[in-house]
This record gives sequence, structure tokens and C-alpha cells, in this order.
Amino acid sequence: MKISLKLYRYNPEIDKKSRYETYQLEADPTDRILDILEFVKGYIDGTLSFRRSCAHGVCGSDAMRINGQNRLACKTLLRDLHGNKVTVEPIMGLRVIKDLIVDMDPFFENFRTVLPYLINDEPAPKTERLQSPEDRERFDDTTKCILCACCTTSCPSFWANDEYLGPAAFVNAHRFIFDSRDRAADERLKILSAQNGVYRCHTVFNCTLACPREIEITKAIGEVKRAISTGSLK
Amino acid sequence: MSARSTLRPRSVQPAWSFEYIMWFFTRVSGLTMYLLALSGVVGAFILGARTQVDLQTLLRWMFFPNRFHVEPYLDDAAFWVTAWWQIMQILIVFFAVSHGFNGLRVVIEDYVGRSFWRPLLRSVVFLLWLAMLVIAVFVILQA
Ligand code: FES
Repeated sequence: MKISLKLYRYNPEIDKKSRYETYQLEADPTDRILDILEFVKGYIDGTLSFRRSCAHGVCGSDAMRINGQNRLACKTLLRDLHGNKVTVEPIMGLRVIKDLIVDMDPFFENFRTVLPYLINDEPAPKTERLQSPEDRERFDDTTKCILCACCTTSCPSFWANDEYLGPAAFVNAHRFIFDSRDRAADERLKILSAQNGVYRCHTVFNCTLACPREIEITKAIGEVKRAISTGSLK
Repeated sequence: MSARSTLRPRSVQPAWSFEYIMWFFTRVSGLTMYLLALSGVVGAFILGARTQVDLQTLLRWMFFPNRFHVEPYLDDAAFWVTAWWQIMQILIVFFAVSHGFNGLRVVIEDYVGRSFWRPLLRSVVFLLWLAMLVIAVFVILQA
């Protein structure tokens, strides 16, 4: 099928302002947006810049705005877009470095703020810290996060203020707060109930719609809010 | 297999912060305003609003049960100027003004990052909130 591909372009060494470039291409409905971008880079314009690594929805490096929605280019088929017009732009709320590449530093800075690692100072048992299947199940959903930033950069609160920790940070905090082996839930809850924490979330649900891993993010944030108010980690 | 070694406390200290308290207040004050408005309407009906008051007046009465809103209609309006209704009015004004200004505060916290504007705007909202309350209470007690 014939498609018209409109790409956001910005080269800081040449362009004063960002611009759009449109390409007329031949593509298959089963092509992924990533394949199409690779084609443009390989055969039309080698300066086109974007991130990708695994090409299988695992590494989270190719989040971009495809026809206005945050998606992974490697998980989006042309036929999913129901039409032959495709617009690809960088994710919002982060500074564009070049073309579709944004500066992810503020995003990872926020991620680190919530202590996204296991904290347990009790002496380690001889073999391993065991956990029942039910206890593991409790935070299963939030272990699926691949830190692609689709959620955080779809959130109006984050667009307004990048100090807002954002849904990805909350998801990763949730993953440890409800882990029965972890001991730092109270510390994390304090961070999450502060100025830039969960109370900047206004339940817009953009994050849940954007998540390529289908994590129920708004629900996870709700559970964090409940833990803040009652202290219960059930 | 040994029993699981992770007998952790199933709860921790709640992490109440200013943000949490205001989040909670938003919900409670919203609900309270409904209850107060309802009690205002019930009061008006008991006083005879069924036959003597039109809808606009009733709505005004609902959200601000001030005696001037019903005086031309109700003969025994004097009854409403009792301490009980003054307290009701002060409560409804307090919840409405605080709920609204907290909303403005949230907009500032959401949209104004760390800059010189933030403390400035916060103080403006705080002072406006205080001024509104003082003026409203003054009007209610004078009425
Ligand atoms: S390239 Fe790894 S998630 Fe798409």
C-alpha cells in the first residue's frame, strides 16, 4: 500500500526550529513503524535519528508519538493505524536532542528518586529470601515496566512540570512497596506523598492508555494513595 | 521447603503530608457542601418555601442561606438570623471558599515549577482565601 509518512525533524546543528518532512512510500500493512523508519534511514536519509535496540518490545528505547499516541515503534503495525497517513513525532515533555531522540535524563532522575531497588537490611537467609506465590502476585503487574516513558510523557502533569515524578516512577515504587521482601515502604511512601508525588496525579488515565505493556498504572497509583492514607500494604 | 522467611509487617505508618491532607479535604468539603445545601433547602421548605418561594430564590438559598435572599417572601425570616443559621452560613462559605482556593493552589502546584513565581502565587492565593473568609464572616454576622 502507498503511505504518506510525516516525520518530525530537528537537527540542532542546522535547524533553528523543528520542521516536518513528508515521504511517500510503499509499505505492507504488516510492516512495523520501526521497519518503515529503518527504511527511511537506510535508503532515503541516513541522518534520520531515533533510538531502538531490541526491536521486540523489551528494551523500551523506541517510544515515540505515532499519529498522536505514545507507542513503541517496534510494536505498532501499519495496519493498527487504520489509514495510510502516518505521523511520527518525539514523545512530549522532554527536550528533543535530535529528530525523534529526546533527553531522558529528567525521566531517569525521577525514577531514581523513588528508590527503585530492593532494600532489606535484615541478615540474608542462607539460601534465598523466599516469597509465596500470592505475595509475588501482589506486585506482578508493575514488574512489567520497561521504562520506555510512554506513560510519563503522555501525562499533562508531567508536560507542565518535569519535576513531577510521573507514572513510571510510581509504577516502579509500587513494584517495591508491595514486595513482601522489601523493608523501605515507609520511606518511599513519604517521597510519594510529597510535593511532586502522587497528588499531582489527577486520574487522567493517559498513562494507562499509553502503556505498551498494558500495566494498570492508574490502579497502581490508586493503591499507592491508599497505602499513604492507611499505611496498609495489603 | 521451609516456611517463607518474609514475615514483614503488613502495614507501615501512614505517610500523611500536607498534599495528602488537602487531597482528603477536597473530597470531604465537596461532600459537606452538598449536605449543607440540602439542609438549607430542607430548612427553607419547613419555613414555607413550598408555596412562597420561586426556584431561583431557592437555589440562592441553597448555597448561601442569607436572610436577604428570602426576606421578601417569608414573613418569619427573623427565625433565620439565629446563631444556628449563621453558623450554617459560615460553614458553607468556609467549605466553598477553601475548596475553591485549594483548587487554585493545586493549579499552581501543577503548572508552576520551581521559580520565583511559585511562592509569590502561593501567597496571593493564601491571602485571597483569608480575605474572602473574613469578608464573608463579616457580612454574615452583620446581616
Ligand atoms: S526497540 Fe526495544 S522496545 Fe522497541
